Amino acid sequence: MKHASNMTELFERLSELKVVFRYSEKLIPIIQNLMDFMKDTVPLLEDINSSLVESTSKIPKASDQLSNISSATELATTEILDIVDAISIDMDKIEKAVKNVKSKEEEKLLIWQKIKNKLLSDASANELIKQFEELDTFIPVIPGLLEIFQKVKNDVYNITLSLQVQDITSQQLAAVNHLIESVRTSLASLMTHLDDSEIKSFDNFYEDLPKGGTFDPNAEFTRSTERQDAADVLISSMNNKTSQDEIDKLFS
Amino acid sequence: MSLKFLVVDDSLTMRRIVINSLRNLSYDNFVEAGDGKEALDKLLADQTINFVITDWNMPNVSGLELVKSIRSNDSLSKLSILMVTTRGVKEDIIEALNAKVNNYIVKPFTPQILKEKIDQIINPT
Repeated sequence: MKHASNMTELFERLSELKVVFRYSEKLIPIIQNLMDFMKDTVPLLEDINSSLVESTSKIPKASDQLSNISSATELATTEILDIVDAISIDMDKIEKAVKNVKSKEEEKLLIWQKIKNKLLSDASANELIKQFEELDTFIPVIPGLLEIFQKVKNDVYNITLSLQVQDITSQQLAAVNHLIESVRTSLASLMTHLDDSEIKSFDNFYEDLPKGGTFDPNAEFTRSTERQDAADVLISSMNNKTSQDEIDKLFS
Repeated sequence: MSLKFLVVDDSLTMRRIVINSLRNLSYDNFVEAGDGKEALDKLLADQTINFVITDWNMPNVSGLELVKSIRSNDSLSKLSILMVTTRGVKEDIIEALNAKVNNYIVKPFTPQILKEKIDQIINPT
């Protein structure tokens, strides 16, 4: 009886094993598919990995190029300012000389008037006086010249003011640089999670980056007086001269 | 009143533009500094400076920190301070005014605005 019971149990186990094999038969192709998928995926992941390494490694160069642009524009701006200053100094000299000529001409005119009065009775001298007075004099054109000088000086000064764009764009570039650095940090972190690799050639990266406090990410070059007007209203409000509604309207 | 200006900006370009503008307004007495730290050193060394024109965003010591340092120093606290900066948002302006700047200009500035703000400081109504 005991042998018969054992056999029954054996058959039950074999039956269970059969079920397992049957499931295994169905599972094997799935596992095979999974392995094929893994084989295909690994090179893809390696590609992504190397692409990340390459992209991340290029960031310092991009950052350097942005810094170089700022340096180059500052250099160019300084040269322009030097030239503009030289023009202003020359214009001042010319203006001074012309004013001096005008003053001397006016002095000469007064003396000439006295000479003329003394020679009125001399007919031959009168003819010469007439001929002399028909000649062009420099005095009438001087006010026009001085006006032109003033206009040129104003234009030159306006060039100087327009160069504020250099400071503002430098701050905008510094903000972009800061953003690039954030992206690089995220990529480097992702790389570490993927395969523990470290990005090389970053030793001096942080030293070269502009620090967060040295630029304004919202810097903008505009001819509009809107922002200054808003600031003025706010300053007035601090002196209790403006309503809250006006302030909110300007800064909305 | 004879004014001696300290122009503080980390941008050489901006310092030159501000100084050119001051010359255009017939002022001819100025010193320069590239950041707040250098500015403080110059202020402490030269007691004849009576007007500070400063940027906000600068390395080492910012313009705002410079203003706070000036206002908390007994020998400097009475100086006139004009902030000239790109920062034009409400919160920034309030922060600067709370730090006791006398007036505030948003870059880019015009010569008229610079004159107006200096006049408002030296001849308050």
